[in-house]
Amino acid sequence: MAPKVSATDRMRRLLALVPWIAAHADGAPLEETCRRFGISKAQLLEDFEVVQFVGVYPFTPDALIDVVVDDDRIHLLYADVFRKPLGLTPEEGLALVAAGTALLATPGADPDGPLARGLAKLAGVLGVRPGEDLGVGLGGGVDDFLTTIRQARSTSRRIELDYYSHGRDERTTRTVDPWRLWSQAGHWYLAGYCHLAEGERVFRLDRIAAARVLDEPFEPPATGDDADFLELDALPRAVLDLAPDTRWLAESIPVIASEDRPEGVLRVTLGVTATPWLERILLQLGPAARVVTIDDRLGGPDLAAAAADRVLARYDGPGRAG
Amino acid sequence: MVANPKLERLMNLTAALLDTRVPLTAEALRERVGGYPDDRVAFRRSFERDKDDLREMGIPIRIEEIPDSLPRAEGYLIRNDEYYLRDPGLTADELAALHLATAAVRIDGVQGLGGLWKLGGTPGGLAGAASDSPDVSSELSADPNVVTLFGAMADRQVVTFRYRDTDREVEPHRLEFQRGNWYLAGFDRSREGRRVFRLNRIDGAVQPVGGTGAFVRPEGTPALQLDPWLAGGGDEVLARLRIDAAVAAAAVHELGPDTVEERHDDGSVVVAIPVTNRDAFRTFVLGLLEHAEVLGPPELRDAVVGWLRELSAGGA
Repeated sequence: MAPKVSATDRMRRLLALVPWIAAHADGAPLEETCRRFGISKAQLLEDFEVVQFVGVYPFTPDALIDVVVDDDRIHLLYADVFRKPLGLTPEEGLALVAAGTALLATPGADPDGPLARGLAKLAGVLGVRPGEDLGVGLGGGVDDFLTTIRQARSTSRRIELDYYSHGRDERTTRTVDPWRLWSQAGHWYLAGYCHLAEGERVFRLDRIAAARVLDEPFEPPATGDDADFLELDALPRAVLDLAPDTRWLAESIPVIASEDRPEGVLRVTLGVTATPWLERILLQLGPAARVVTIDDRLGGPDLAAAAADRVLARYDGPGRAG
Repeated sequence: MVANPKLERLMNLTAALLDTRVPLTAEALRERVGGYPDDRVAFRRSFERDKDDLREMGIPIRIEEIPDSLPRAEGYLIRNDEYYLRDPGLTADELAALHLATAAVRIDGVQGLGGLWKLGGTPGGLAGAASDSPDVSSELSADPNVVTLFGAMADRQVVTFRYRDTDREVEPHRLEFQRGNWYLAGFDRSREGRRVFRLNRIDGAVQPVGGTGAFVRPEGTPALQLDPWLAGGGDEVLARLRIDAAVAAAAVHELGPDTVEERHDDGSVVVAIPVTNRDAFRTFVLGLLEHAEVLGPPELRDAVVGWLRELSAGGA
């Protein structure tokens, strides 16, 4: 049996289907109707069996919707009461305007193309000005790299990236097969096979210093996601006590375990992918974070002090007592 | 032998409410629509549930006084101008482009497909379209209030909500998604000034109040200022920062190319950025580790040096 679809879900679609079909004086082609409204022929016919019992008072034959299905077309008569679809809900309006606005702001989008024209018409009937009243930032300042990567993807070419790895604090040049491109929380990301790391890696576009399309082609990945996931448990660990006003940190970084301590202190166990990542956190939090234990592979208990001295060396020599 | 009694009843109820010029009582609707139980209590329960279902779909059912009724009675109807779609008149390629856009950019939990159906469905595979699958994608996080605020903004309706422990009455002017969060810019009537609110800091549900068209949206709502070193209302100073080649590109992406004062042959840059929040500035600088140095003003440079000395092996 087909999965149970609620009466209201079927009705939502019918309120759009009925006026669309009724607008075709010579009947609407069945196949196209099904494709446009994402519905099987069997379901469509079942729904219109109901529609032929729909009408208005006094339910004389010319007040009931007349449904006629011939070989490949469906005809509706007397559907005047449903001559237009129900207006867009705020939810539907938001979904359409936000998507159109976001995509139109990506580089290469045609400001006079079909999307721009359709969005302007739609926004007009909704009473909003796209871009003006609703803004969607997918991640700015990386237009050149987006254009380069999209071009490489559309021609299935590898790219060369000059990339700064934030976690490891090192800059490298890599050859990458660009598999996927997406925006998340206001940053653009590229996932692909990195020939330097010999595995799938994710790159943030705003950490790319230079990108160029190579002549070598790449094969798109086999279907199925065989990315090697970060195994948090296998990483070297550090345990920190966080002062009450820095507990938010635990929500923005991967934490293996956390434990409430007296006086609002939160004790967190972190899996550390690279030492500079932990150094950065310790320097930024300063006295608000205290190292409880730390894996020797990360540099030991003096990690923060050593990092502070390295930075201080830029400011007229190392720190002095007093 | 009815294929789906509930679907048939809901469709007929909608047709009856759309067709009538005068409000109809529940009793009149029971007669016209048919398919309701005979028992009075069971009918009432079923009728109430049907109205809720229709309203849930966005069908605007009104309750109005029935003219010349004695004793005074209220009835139900749907006003045609409130129900029928104002057709934007999209061409086939415009509809296809919007379809492609909703496939590329989604808001978590916010449904756009029903909207596409109303506009003519999803033709797909259109001749001339470069591709029918997007080459980029994004899922924007949702917020429980974002749909309500969009509706209120479009209808120019005032909203009330609780924010930072105070009740606000706000004219919603602009919604913006930036760096993973939704923001509302508007005129705060309770504070008599323009304010920006982060939606995930709103306490509870936003309530639209009063009628539509209650205000005029101003031209040119200023762009959001989200740099943490400009948050808060401290005195503004211009900080100068040298940034090494290794991280220069990434830092300039974050700060914007306008901040660059000098570009050196070794790839390093000197940037100048306005700062009002000194703690946030220090956090940004320390995120660059030993690849950056605060050149001035002395106040900011000394603050960073002092902070590091506290942490240094030789300090404290």
